[in-house]
Amino acid sequence: MKRFKEMFRFRWRTRAPRGEATSAAEQRALVAPTIREGADFSITAEAKTFDEVRISISGKIFMENAQLVLPALLSVMEAHPLENTVIDLAGVEYLDSSGAAVLMEAHRRASRLNNVLRLSNVPSAIRTFLGMVDFEQFKDLGILEPREEPGVMVQIGDGALELSRDARDMVTFIGATVVALLQDFSRPRKIRWDRLWKLLAQSGFDAVPIVTLLSFLMGAILAFQSAIQFRKFGANIFVADLVSVAICLEMGPLLTSLIVAGRSGAAYAAHIGTMQVNEEVDALRALAIDPIRFLVSPRLIACAIALPCLTVFADLVGVLGGCVVATFSLDLTPQAFFNQVHKVLEVSDIAKGLIKSVVFGVEIAVIGCMKGFQVRGGAESVGHATTSAVVTGIFVLTVTDAIFAILYYYLAVL
Amino acid sequence: MVIENVSFDVLEGEVFAILGRSGCGKSTLFKAMTGLLAIRNGEVVIEDEVVASAGKAFSEEALKRIGILFQSGALFSSMTVAENVAFPLRQRTTLSEPIIEQVVTLKLAEVGLAGKERFLPAELSGGMQKRAALARAMSLDPRILFFDEPSSGLDPITSAELDRTICTINQTLGTTIVIVTHELASIFAVADRVVLLDAGEKTIIAEGSPAELRDLSQDERVRDFFHRVPAGDEGRAAGDRGAL
Repeated sequence: MKRFKEMFRFRWRTRAPRGEATSAAEQRALVAPTIREGADFSITAEAKTFDEVRISISGKIFMENAQLVLPALLSVMEAHPLENTVIDLAGVEYLDSSGAAVLMEAHRRASRLNNVLRLSNVPSAIRTFLGMVDFEQFKDLGILEPREEPGVMVQIGDGALELSRDARDMVTFIGATVVALLQDFSRPRKIRWDRLWKLLAQSGFDAVPIVTLLSFLMGAILAFQSAIQFRKFGANIFVADLVSVAICLEMGPLLTSLIVAGRSGAAYAAHIGTMQVNEEVDALRALAIDPIRFLVSPRLIACAIALPCLTVFADLVGVLGGCVVATFSLDLTPQAFFNQVHKVLEVSDIAKGLIKSVVFGVEIAVIGCMKGFQVRGGAESVGHATTSAVVTGIFVLTVTDAIFAILYYYLAVL
Repeated sequence: MVIENVSFDVLEGEVFAILGRSGCGKSTLFKAMTGLLAIRNGEVVIEDEVVASAGKAFSEEALKRIGILFQSGALFSSMTVAENVAFPLRQRTTLSEPIIEQVVTLKLAEVGLAGKERFLPAELSGGMQKRAALARAMSLDPRILFFDEPSSGLDPITSAELDRTICTINQTLGTTIVIVTHELASIFAVADRVVLLDAGEKTIIAEGSPAELRDLSQDERVRDFFHRVPAGDEGRAAGDRGAL
């Protein structure tokens, strides 16, 4: 029976209140989530009946003291499990979001202790404020807990599904692109030549400086590395063989395509993705204009033309880079170097490289445009599409290059 | 999203509005009506011709009869205002450049954008972008103009100006206009008839003039919508929630 008469008091005090009693205007502003300094609160708990405990809160509960109010409430509830808990808010002058959060958390904890928590004498302004939250709905949600990561098997399954979707999308897209190209070639006057020239300039001419720099360096590096080995055998002249064949057959097309994938592939994905987000693609459809034919065809043609042109340029500059290194570090004359190149390099080597570069150009345009069309949502999706266009582009280009290497090898054997 | 049992007729020359709260399927219906979304069941009929149904997409000819003003305007950002308006004419007609130029001038004047021909979309205000997009939508003189949330992102004055433009187009050109929106002020300013979609049932729950629905409807959902009080929220102010 002692428990029924038990009464205890928990009191916490910050600095003394600065102002006088709360004015009417301040009363109206009680629900404003403003931190007020110099406020305090008190909590009184009293066992009213054999199954009910009443907690009275007075003062102000806000961000600075909310963390101290909760343990006080919990200590009372834990001392009286399986009972009804009534929180009397009659004396509460101010309650901000943190104060409301304390009551919500107390409600959640009360449920765990099988207590029934009830508020009473809630001031009207606070009642309106608390009425915005459905306590029952939110009591069990761990909304700030990190989202559960899917298991390994789920991730593998998701990855497989995404891969199959990508493959299906790509087949559909390639089919639509082929149809669009056939329509364009059957009626060349309908091709947007002005746009095509601009795209050619963007994909081709604008890439010349970076292609020049990297190709020159690539030729120089190949010459340096091979010179170290050839010098041991007094076979300096064969540097010209290695540089010219490697550049024209392999490095020129691949390096150029990687540069174009990074520049133009990403630009295509970003441009079409942004158009998708801005409903511009829908606007084309609404005007009965096939977006594939309008957006993809010119880019594909531009890339398929620009890449071989850039590759020829890269081949020249790369061989020149090798020649410069050979001249200054291997005591070869430029004339001897180019004579050797002339002897060893066949037109078919250059042609093989150019055939590859046309295929690379088509792949870059298709992947960039397809990733752009796959954009759904907003800016984040555009960023993802752009990254994906580059990564997928590099992967597909490398695989295609490997396939060409095998193909050319067996063709040479035959 | 699935919308069911949605069937209505739009009369020639009227301004018809499709109303509803967010998530009721307005955008889905808009896309289905304009051929931007394939229909699994049902049909879209324009002038007694089925232009879209399950397995049948809008033909090029059907699309020629409609013009669309998208919510964002959807102007082509790399083209000037004049090029945007000229774009459908260049792509879909055999008109010569001088004629196209005159049509562009006329259309821009109709929407109050004369003198803005050489501006890029990014250099225009939101209201001007909508007007330029409207000029583009009107460039082929469509029989029906569809508006997706025309007031979206506009201040009340600009929105009212756009409403006046819509009325002018409807009255002077006789264009049938279909608007998808939730803006009541615009509806009362421009619409002859409306249908109201319900967010829960995803179907039409009322049809009539805006004033009829506001003043005479006995359906609580219709009254709630026209009086801007969400259904079921009357008890919120009472503050009695759950166990508290």
